[in-house]
Amino acid sequence: MEIITDNNTEEKRFKYFGAGLEFAIIYFKNILLTIITIGLYYPWAKVELLKYHYQSTALDNSRFTFHATGKEVFKGFIKIYAILIALYAFLIFASQSQDLKLITTATILFYVFLLLLIPLAIHGSVRYRASRSSWKGIHFKYLGDRKELFLLYLKGLFFTIITFGIYGAWLQVDLRKYVLSNLRFGDLSFKFKGSGGELFWITLKFILLIYITLGIYGFWYYKNIIKFYVDNLEISQDGKPVSFKCNIKTADIVALLVINFFLLIFTLGLATPWVTVRTFKFILRFIIIEEGLDTERIQQVSYDDYDDATGDDFMDFLDFDVL
Amino acid sequence: MSYTILYFDGTSSKMHKALLQITALKWAITFTEDDGSSKIISWDTANIKKTNVYTEKFVSFSYGKSYPFQRIESTDTALIEHVNAAKNIDLHKLDVLLHTNKRSSFLYLLTAILGIAIGMYFYVIPTISTHFISNLNHKSVEGFGNFVFKVLSTDLEIDAEKTKKLQYFVDAIQIENTFPLEVYVAKSEDINAFALSGGKIVVYDALLEKIENESQLLALIGHEISHIENRHVLKNVTRNLSGALFISVLFGDISGINTVLAENAHLFSQLSFTRSLEKEADIYGLKIMKDNKVNLCGMSELFEILKEETKFDVPTYLSNHPMLKDRIEYTQKIAKEQGTISENTLLKEKWDALKTTFTNIDLKNE
Repeated sequence: MEIITDNNTEEKRFKYFGAGLEFAIIYFKNILLTIITIGLYYPWAKVELLKYHYQSTALDNSRFTFHATGKEVFKGFIKIYAILIALYAFLIFASQSQDLKLITTATILFYVFLLLLIPLAIHGSVRYRASRSSWKGIHFKYLGDRKELFLLYLKGLFFTIITFGIYGAWLQVDLRKYVLSNLRFGDLSFKFKGSGGELFWITLKFILLIYITLGIYGFWYYKNIIKFYVDNLEISQDGKPVSFKCNIKTADIVALLVINFFLLIFTLGLATPWVTVRTFKFILRFIIIEEGLDTERIQQVSYDDYDDATGDDFMDFLDFDVL
Repeated sequence: MSYTILYFDGTSSKMHKALLQITALKWAITFTEDDGSSKIISWDTANIKKTNVYTEKFVSFSYGKSYPFQRIESTDTALIEHVNAAKNIDLHKLDVLLHTNKRSSFLYLLTAILGIAIGMYFYVIPTISTHFISNLNHKSVEGFGNFVFKVLSTDLEIDAEKTKKLQYFVDAIQIENTFPLEVYVAKSEDINAFALSGGKIVVYDALLEKIENESQLLALIGHEISHIENRHVLKNVTRNLSGALFISVLFGDISGINTVLAENAHLFSQLSFTRSLEKEADIYGLKIMKDNKVNLCGMSELFEILKEETKFDVPTYLSNHPMLKDRIEYTQKIAKEQGTISENTLLKEKWDALKTTFTNIDLKNE
């Protein structure tokens, strides 16, 4: 074990300790329980897999912890399913009427409602995940305002629609900026420095080059996107910002994705847990917190005991992950 | 015995290298403060919480009824062994057991998943969905058929005259049907006919024109009635949907390509189910023919007509119908068992009336 001094401000690296077979047992155990219970066990399964990844991730010799419970996530699921079933029932009811006008209105309402749920879900999800995540006994906390985020999203959605999707990049970055600027870890705060223009350029290059290069440009795109999200992240202690850095190269991405692809294909998907562990190990290896952050001096501020997982479950339904 | 741990007090991120001593009621944590003084923290076992996930060579606990929560982490193997063996610590015993012999646990889990998935897919889901459809009330079955017909009817060009004549023919069939039969003749160059749930049958005029006698027509209609009476369409749809849903749930989280493979496998298995329904309809159709005292050879003759019109007889495993060659064989076999029959004059009369609608057109064309 390293010597613990008063000043602990050197460069920090993440390390992932997960192991393929160990995770495979947890992964398949949860699949089995989910099948036996016809899906009812899913919330508990989701929580256990996340707990595993958290507990396997170390920074500065200390592991992360995920404090969520299956029960909280289950309650959220019930709410989400109640909403969705009501929405579908409405849609089915309308479609049986044979009235084209009514069907069109119902379909539009259905999608508008789903779209409007997204910012509320982001808010709930981030707040829940933050409240349930800790490191060195210090909890994350999300201070964002639901209404502010909703209006920000509404504005972005409007511009995205009238610009035929172009503004989408700015919307995405604005949401990230808002969420991160309201995220705290004890007395530390976060900031996202990236701009919508940068993300738009990355996406545009992808669209222009992906077909010409027969998909090969995808590797560069992945590298750019990872670097965009990590390199633009900043954490502040006592008003002094410290940057995150990701030194990943395109060749690393090629090695990661090509081998993952073959692992999945030749095992008919059985290698999924190994691929997951491999990906975490790989990506976290390249992420650095630059010099200047004293991880011995972070103060717990206050704790937000937010146990409503509904937003997080909705994001799960849409297949989005806030992390 | 004492174990080496890292201790966090919950108010700051400061990491304390500490020693842990465990007794039945208390956990005692000892460490040295920066000023050199020694500090002892005592944890009441009732309020200690484990993180509830198994990661090898690492354990962590949190403590406290309310905020702030203290925390310890350890990679000390002696402590891990103690925790894994302890009875009074709230641990997933199953996890410890599963991780003692990882390889065999992995194989057991896979076998169990595979066994249950196969059982669900081939037995539980088909049984439940068939049972559900068989017990569905008449109104819903007819409602579904009407809905589909409404959607389809925009593309169908119905021949009113032929429809009327064919309906007379169908009304003359002796059968104890549970659904009211309603037939439509649609203009199309395709050699085809199909049934919708709840009693509707659509026959394309090109096929009708090829038919030579009343027993062939009854073979065709009888086959379609069988689909209706046995609720084949709904059984097929329900089984297909529930099976596809199960496959997508099972493979959905694994990977895109494997989902495609699994879905194709599902398609093959679905085709085989559809074929079994077709065969059932053929056999039931023959029964209707027998009850109406027409020549059972009409069924195999009908297939001969279809065979002539079909350029490629698709191999059985790729088709939703059995190969025509096979259908001719098994229906001929049943037809051979039929004794002498007298002519069903009523059906013949209706058939002749229907046939005139075609000859009239032919005359006009000439």
